[in-house]
Amino acid sequence: MKFARPSALTLAVAYISLGLAALALFAAPLWYAWRVTIQDGRSEVLQSDAQRLTEVFRRDGPSGLVSYINARVGLQIAGERLLLLADQSLKPLAGNLADWPTNVPPNPGVYNVKLELGAHPTDVALVHTILPDGYHLLVGRDTARFQPLEQRFWYALAGAVAILSVLGTFGGILVRRALLARIDGIRRTVSAIIQGELSHRLPTHEGSDELNTLSRTINGMLDQIELLIDGVRNVSNSIAHDLRTPLAELRSRLEELALTKPPTEQTFAEIDAAVADVDGVIRIFNALLRLAEIDSGMRRSGFVAVDVSVVAAEAVEFYLPAAELRGSSLSFEATGPAPVRGDPVLLAQALGNLIDNALKYTPVDGEIVVEVRAGADDGRVEIIVADSGPGIPAEERPKAVERFYRGDASRCTPGVGLGLSLVDAVARLHGSELRLEDNHPGLRARIVLTQDRPQVARTARIVGESGSFQHEPVYP
Amino acid sequence: MKVLLVEDNERVTQFVVKGLQEAGHTADHAPNGRDGMFLAASEPYDVIIMDRMLPGEIDGLAIIEALRKSGKRTPILILSALSEVDDRIRGLRAGGDDYLTKPFAFGELLARIDALTRRAQGEGAQTRLEVADLRVDLLTRKVTRGNRSVTLQPREFKLLEYLMRHADQVVTRTMLLENVWDYHFDPQTNVVDVHISKLRQKIDAAFERPLLRTVRNAGYTLTSHD
Repeated sequence: MKFARPSALTLAVAYISLGLAALALFAAPLWYAWRVTIQDGRSEVLQSDAQRLTEVFRRDGPSGLVSYINARVGLQIAGERLLLLADQSLKPLAGNLADWPTNVPPNPGVYNVKLELGAHPTDVALVHTILPDGYHLLVGRDTARFQPLEQRFWYALAGAVAILSVLGTFGGILVRRALLARIDGIRRTVSAIIQGELSHRLPTHEGSDELNTLSRTINGMLDQIELLIDGVRNVSNSIAHDLRTPLAELRSRLEELALTKPPTEQTFAEIDAAVADVDGVIRIFNALLRLAEIDSGMRRSGFVAVDVSVVAAEAVEFYLPAAELRGSSLSFEATGPAPVRGDPVLLAQALGNLIDNALKYTPVDGEIVVEVRAGADDGRVEIIVADSGPGIPAEERPKAVERFYRGDASRCTPGVGLGLSLVDAVARLHGSELRLEDNHPGLRARIVLTQDRPQVARTARIVGESGSFQHEPVYP
Repeated sequence: MKVLLVEDNERVTQFVVKGLQEAGHTADHAPNGRDGMFLAASEPYDVIIMDRMLPGEIDGLAIIEALRKSGKRTPILILSALSEVDDRIRGLRAGGDDYLTKPFAFGELLARIDALTRRAQGEGAQTRLEVADLRVDLLTRKVTRGNRSVTLQPREFKLLEYLMRHADQVVTRTMLLENVWDYHFDPQTNVVDVHISKLRQKIDAAFERPLLRTVRNAGYTLTSHD
């Protein structure tokens, strides 16, 4: 079932109707209570009057009551009171009514009827009592004097309805205007963004109303989009720069080969070199694809329980012979199991990249320390790879994680400048970031992850199809 | 060895078929999924090289799934331009035995199909591996060369075990990374080479005849032949 989407105006109308209904529901019981109270009070007074007259009748007989009534009517103390004593055949004996009212039946009871008093029909309340010996007594009272009060009640109610309608309508229009103005603002900004002006942002203020929250969320989304687009732009610039160079080399190598037609031996050597060039290009390509894969966040679906200390121990073990060969020391320290939820393949690659980086930039006799600290109380898992190399100057550190960035110190070492950005991407995927600090001397790379609470599984590997085996964590 | 190549790119086909023939294998070729399905189902092959994305309505993974469902256990190497980890997992889950990303070096492809056919012949429940006078006892984890005992770290043992199981075949650095360290990424530096040379120090250094040899542009092989 489908409902038409209400515009602000239909909403306002609906609210006014709701207000009126509420008012009616409020007035109805009030009106009822008022009626009942007044009527009950009135018939009580009349009945006690009838009681008194009945006692006079019992004491003094019919003639006594006739003279009593005549005295009351004569003294005018009857006031607005209607009195009538009639005999068995309803013939009037005394009182201020000329005849027995035709619309009052001969049975005792309380009646609300219209009587011709003077020229006008008047609303009266009558109590009809049958006295001993079959005499009839009517005690009544004119109720017309309550009519103005009743009228005022209705006027007040009508006034309330009118005020409610007017205020509701204007309020609705005002609210609609304000709402539409803000929505229109959002619409215009978004249109501008669609046109390509990504720097636009929705206006926000301090409050926390729904539209403001929505605006802030949209702004957050825009920030993220802008970041991604910048990233794409950066990457394409970097690709253009860093792939073009080896491709240009390759091209000139092949062209030269075709032109000079060197002897066979030399030709084969050149072809081997060309294949190596292509491999270099493929390597950059693969690194970029991997980064894109990580950045897309899709790998998060493959998160499992991982013990970072095992992953780190294995990475250290893997790089240890390379470190020995260079004459550097590579050591590993862990406080114990460091469980996190993550991607073991990517965490291993990130650790590998950090160690690889440290190895490359640490001079012979350097010292590299890999540390995994799992704080028992603060729920954090800290991964630190510290080296004693030249480090990165503080002002260059933010740039170091950018794609294809290569510091001056690294110009002459092999690598494509994607290592640290990959580490950063992996850290971000795990809800952290790569922090580069001064190791006095050297570089200290730090990633702080959140500890996985339930202390499960020493380690878990997901891509082990081609060769699964038991892990024996080795702490060198 | 009889190989089926299901691949739509002519250049790649030519390159692979020629390479396989030079290595002494016979190679059949199917340029689309339908022919590939037909050949794979009707002819006996030692190994199938399957491109993932094929023209026509049947793609590589569908063929693999169909073959596996019909009970064919021929080893299959998936060849694909899709390189993401998830793609790899999907390919292996469909029933592929190994996954190689394009572009690839022919040496890598050859080494991998060699390893696959060897695996198909069955590693069995071997408890002892032997190449020339090098012996590995998988139960006691003792390694001896001649009558000398060799002490290995756990990971070195694993590396040697893998090389011994694939004796007389070429194993590439990537295969070693994936199977010995379970690392599915490029570690950038030549760390595998360093591990190999350490292992070589332990098993070959004191002996006249080296068993662990480097194969140029491809990888390594553990062999007693010259």
